[in-house]
Amino acid sequence: MNGGISRPTLALGLAAVALSVVTLVGLPGPLQALVALTVLVLLPGQALVRLTPVTDAALAALLVVALGIATLTAVSTAMFYLTVWSWQGCVVAMGAITVLACLARERKEAPA
Amino acid sequence: MLPWPFWVGVVLLNVAFAAALRGDAVGPAHRVVMLWLVVVLVLVLFGTALFVTDVPRGEVAFRHLGIADALSDMQRVDPGIDAYFNWPGFFALLATLLAATGLDPVSVALWAPVLNVFLWLAAVGVVMRYLTNDPRRRWLVLWIFCLGNWQDQDYLSPQAFGVFLYLVIVALLVGPLAALPPRFRGFRRADLAAWWQERRPADSRPGHRVAALAMVLLLVVVIFASHQLTPFMVLFAITTLTLSGRVWPSQLPLITAVVLVLWFVYPASAYLAGHPPIEDAGFQGAVATNVVERVGGTPGHLLVVQLRVGLTVVLWLLAAAGAVREWRRRRLDIRVAILAAAPLMLFPVQSYGGEMLIRVSLFALPFIALLACSALLPPDGSLRLSIRRAAALVLTFVVLAVLNVTGRFGNAEYDLFSDSEMAAVTAVQSLAPPGSVIISAAHPTPWRDQTYLEHQYRTIDDLCSPDLSAATCGPIVYNFVRHNAQGGFLMFLRSSEASIVLQGESTTEGFAELEEWLDAQNGVRLAFSNAEARVYRMTP
Repeated sequence: MNGGISRPTLALGLAAVALSVVTLVGLPGPLQALVALTVLVLLPGQALVRLTPVTDAALAALLVVALGIATLTAVSTAMFYLTVWSWQGCVVAMGAITVLACLARERKEAPA
Repeated sequence: MLPWPFWVGVVLLNVAFAAALRGDAVGPAHRVVMLWLVVVLVLVLFGTALFVTDVPRGEVAFRHLGIADALSDMQRVDPGIDAYFNWPGFFALLATLLAATGLDPVSVALWAPVLNVFLWLAAVGVVMRYLTNDPRRRWLVLWIFCLGNWQDQDYLSPQAFGVFLYLVIVALLVGPLAALPPRFRGFRRADLAAWWQERRPADSRPGHRVAALAMVLLLVVVIFASHQLTPFMVLFAITTLTLSGRVWPSQLPLITAVVLVLWFVYPASAYLAGHPPIEDAGFQGAVATNVVERVGGTPGHLLVVQLRVGLTVVLWLLAAAGAVREWRRRRLDIRVAILAAAPLMLFPVQSYGGEMLIRVSLFALPFIALLACSALLPPDGSLRLSIRRAAALVLTFVVLAVLNVTGRFGNAEYDLFSDSEMAAVTAVQSLAPPGSVIISAAHPTPWRDQTYLEHQYRTIDDLCSPDLSAATCGPIVYNFVRHNAQGGFLMFLRSSEASIVLQGESTTEGFAELEEWLDAQNGVRLAFSNAEARVYRMTP
């Protein structure tokens, strides 16, 4: 614990912020793909799954990918319908979703 | 023809899996070994093409790249363009991922089958954790799922994405959202009411169920935004499982139906206006488009179609035998039977371009595979397989593998494209001015991945079928292009010619006559050619 917030939650939130910035700045070839997929799919998926009481490791791992992809699809589609789409906007939105999910998790973790 | 070492490899792989599945008295081999074998099988069955070509198979993946590209360019959704823009979810995802990662779109399409099958297997694996405690059965389901997956729906597509999310929903329905019904007493109203009210949730944690319900709703919305057909499958599965008393949130079917209707009447209203939902529904129409019209062509092509049907029939017969065996032992899990049979409800809903049977067999496959396990494995899961049974398994696997590979790659003569053909398509896409018509001989053609909205794309087959003779078809094609203000380009690719000949639409000679006739007309001149392609420019 670190002042009421667990280390994994803190690490997840900080990673979302840092990797979002790195994705927007740009990296060479395969690294950009790896970091972008992490920011857009894996981190939001992990942050959302941590909000649920899923205890089965296999189901949790599946949900990280499924929720990450589904959330990115919902965000991208909404941005296209609202005519505000840009991939940079999607990165920022997914980073924000991750941070918000971490904050929600932190509230759950905080002692009553 | 695939070389013999490939087939030797397939046989050895199946022998290795049967030996690992046999394991010892405790169970199969260690899961790392089993997982490794499944990974190798996926690479052999679905990744072989990756090692011999840089070009994705089939036409549709190229088209899907073009739609994502068009969305990126427009930065908005215009449902009036075509049906794809009424269900843009997957394409929005693809556009975002391609732009953010900087990956080469064609490479993504090339790897999509392997990635999709891995995603499907992950979901099937989790579903099976809730449906059986027998580790042998779980691994065997994954193996049979791969061997029975001839449908070729794992390319870069909304339906492959939809299948993955559908399986995740099923995992949540049979897992955290499952219900335990009491013993069934009969169909009298009082008995049914008591049976329904005495159901109890399988998971005692309300928070877990609420979270799972929220996840299902998110996945439902995303599926409904991404694909035309999968929502119906989701609705059928949720409704039938709920009515069987095996799903706890009883309002879920209603919520799903409301989301489906809302999507049709608002975001997909442009499509709905031109395509009433029951326009081509009905059992007879479905049989005509899904069966009768697909069983035609040269003897070789017919054989491929028959092998695909044969593979499906073999698996369904094994599943039926397994279901009967489980029923006699009073161990049949009604959820498995429901999930295996529910896709059949799709069949009469719509012809779906003659592909409904393919989709039905794919949605049913994981549960058909699980039922088939009951016919292939000994009744007691803890028993070690006998040598004789393991040998029978190897034989079954090899037969399924031969049927799968032949059914899947049997049309390689026309759904694999060479570099020469791709060079011709690239040349056309760079030469053709906006507004011009691009005509290929037939589907599949690897086009529309870059200039989806800039041209009219037609095939000679679409324009002239069923009469592709030079005398009839030549003037139709010629006048179609000449009447377009920007003129057009005509592509003759080796693969599209093979498609027409193999599917019995024309002959090599007839096709050569048609090209000769068009070449001789005013305003037609050769603009590009190589060993496997010719491109003609046609001025208005």
